[in-house]
Amino acid sequence: MPVINEPSICAEIAALHDAYERALADNDVEALTRFFWDSPEVARYGVVEHLYGAEEIKSYRKANAVVITDRKLLKRKIVTFGSDWASVMCEFSQVSRGKPTHSRQSQTWGRFPDGWHIVAAHVSLALTPWEGVWADYADRTAALLSLPLAAEHRPGVVQNLERAAAIAAPLLAYPLPAETEFAPVFTP
Amino acid sequence: MTFDPVAASASEIAQAVLVRDTTAVQVTEKLLARIAATHARLNAFTAITRDRALAEAAAVDAAIAAKRDPGPLAGAPYAVKNLFDLTGVVTVAGSKINRDNPPATRDAVAVARLRAAGAICLGAVNMGEYAYDFTNENSHDGAVHNPRDLIRSAGGSSGGSGAAVAAGLVSFALGTDTNGSIRVPASFCGIWGLKPTYGRLSRSGSFPFVDSLDHIGPFARSVNDLAAVYDAMQGPDPLDPACAQRPIEPVTPFIEAGYSGIRLAVLGGYFDRGGEAPVHAAVEKVATALGVKRRVELPVPEIARAAAYLITASESGLLHTERLRARAADFDPPIRDRLLAGALTPAAWYLQAQRFRTWWREQVREVFQSVDVLLAPATPLAASVLGQNTFIFNGREVPLRPSIGVFTQPISFLGLPVVAAPVHSVGPMPVAVQLIAAPWNEVALLRVARALELSGVCTAPVASLAP
Repeated sequence: MPVINEPSICAEIAALHDAYERALADNDVEALTRFFWDSPEVARYGVVEHLYGAEEIKSYRKANAVVITDRKLLKRKIVTFGSDWASVMCEFSQVSRGKPTHSRQSQTWGRFPDGWHIVAAHVSLALTPWEGVWADYADRTAALLSLPLAAEHRPGVVQNLERAAAIAAPLLAYPLPAETEFAPVFTP
Repeated sequence: MTFDPVAASASEIAQAVLVRDTTAVQVTEKLLARIAATHARLNAFTAITRDRALAEAAAVDAAIAAKRDPGPLAGAPYAVKNLFDLTGVVTVAGSKINRDNPPATRDAVAVARLRAAGAICLGAVNMGEYAYDFTNENSHDGAVHNPRDLIRSAGGSSGGSGAAVAAGLVSFALGTDTNGSIRVPASFCGIWGLKPTYGRLSRSGSFPFVDSLDHIGPFARSVNDLAAVYDAMQGPDPLDPACAQRPIEPVTPFIEAGYSGIRLAVLGGYFDRGGEAPVHAAVEKVATALGVKRRVELPVPEIARAAAYLITASESGLLHTERLRARAADFDPPIRDRLLAGALTPAAWYLQAQRFRTWWREQVREVFQSVDVLLAPATPLAASVLGQNTFIFNGREVPLRPSIGVFTQPISFLGLPVVAAPVHSVGPMPVAVQLIAAPWNEVALLRVARALELSGVCTAPVASLAP
């Protein structure tokens, strides 16, 4: 039975994961590629991409510059097995294409003659079934108005907002004269 | 003394009471008994004000005995939608939450004016919760059943008012109309309804829904009653900021004047299509009876409806914000979700809707330069079946509840006065036709309505409720 969480091994993995995070922030494609095991057996799943083998990972990195701002590690769990195997699980938040997101990452690391490499990895976005722009809007606006939105009421509220948005669209697109004022008094 | 108050109009009752063919107390007792006997089938009343009614009736009888004027509606029994304040009664507004409020300490202004006119209040009637409804399927009080076919809806949100009048439980009733809540029950129940000009009748002492669009008005089985009840409630009221500072303009003296000189047209385009066949047949029938050949159109009514929807959502959401914070779980679920979403409406949508309202008012004002009364359907279908969720509109299956107001919503959006005129001869269930005028021109509507009543095309008989 290998030793679980030998402190010196945990420290090694933590340092490597920190370095990986820095490479991501810098979009250092060379470094990011080097972290992965240079083998046809390596695999990496992104939020949308499924990459098999070191070559696919390498060409994906080159073609897709990562523009990440405000990436914050929220929680990280490292487990080491003996001196040559480890898993890293973490949750993080970041602003991706201007939209704040909450995501998860899992990595399996192995020690090779030339050092530690990631042998398998997976990134996913945390989603709820009703997630969308109006769900975000409802959460934020309700919070600003101190209007509690109970979880069981939320889907119906979001649905009504989506319906109202569809109803509002032709009104908002209608070309009213610039001088038309809001006038609530109705006399003939 | 064989006078039967069930089928009698308010003015017939007033006349019979005045000449002592019957007494106000006898009329009241007879109708209270009818309410009790039919309640299990109709579920129209939520509060019966027996003591009050008998006291009001005794006062009318005493006035007549003392040769004092008992008022134009002497002894006429009526009911109010349960959002009107009645002294000593909790104004529930169709909700569970408002049941915890203390009883009202005074009558709504409209009720006080009806009392002064000699009318007898028998109680408060069922409605859709907080008036945000078109079918009156109230989860707290139960659905109102249509007296003309008990498996059907009486319409909403003033469904109890429509059912009580159609069933002969009262001679008239009060309701409110924000997007169609008087005209829809009038259509589903086959009776007369009047939504006056926005600002004509005081709303004070009634629980609000949408300040910019709320109106009160009467239901009746005769045009004369519609006019007399409306006249009795007229007059400025400083307690309602929207109530116009205009002198009373009685219409009752003019309703027999005929409709010659009144320029009429059918509303075409948007209002001419989509509804079930009897709905459009009813408009044609009324147009034929009046000899109307002209058709006019209003520009982009579908955008007016969208704007009314957004103003409704936003203002009602704000109105209920405190209740949504404290007791969201106690609302009718679909109404709660609409109100919560409404409370989050972006300001830009609301303001653009109000700006559109200004612009559209100018367009519609132009139309009224060459026409006085417009004809349009009131509802896109006759009374739906309770529990029904969809119907066919323009060949497409659409959700029922949000679509019932398709023809009423653009009209109340401008606060135009409307009479809903019932037509019983186009299908198994009646439907109403909207008679629409320019602001403050109720008199033209009631003259046309009376002519339609005399012609026999528009009638509102008491429903024959099997015992």
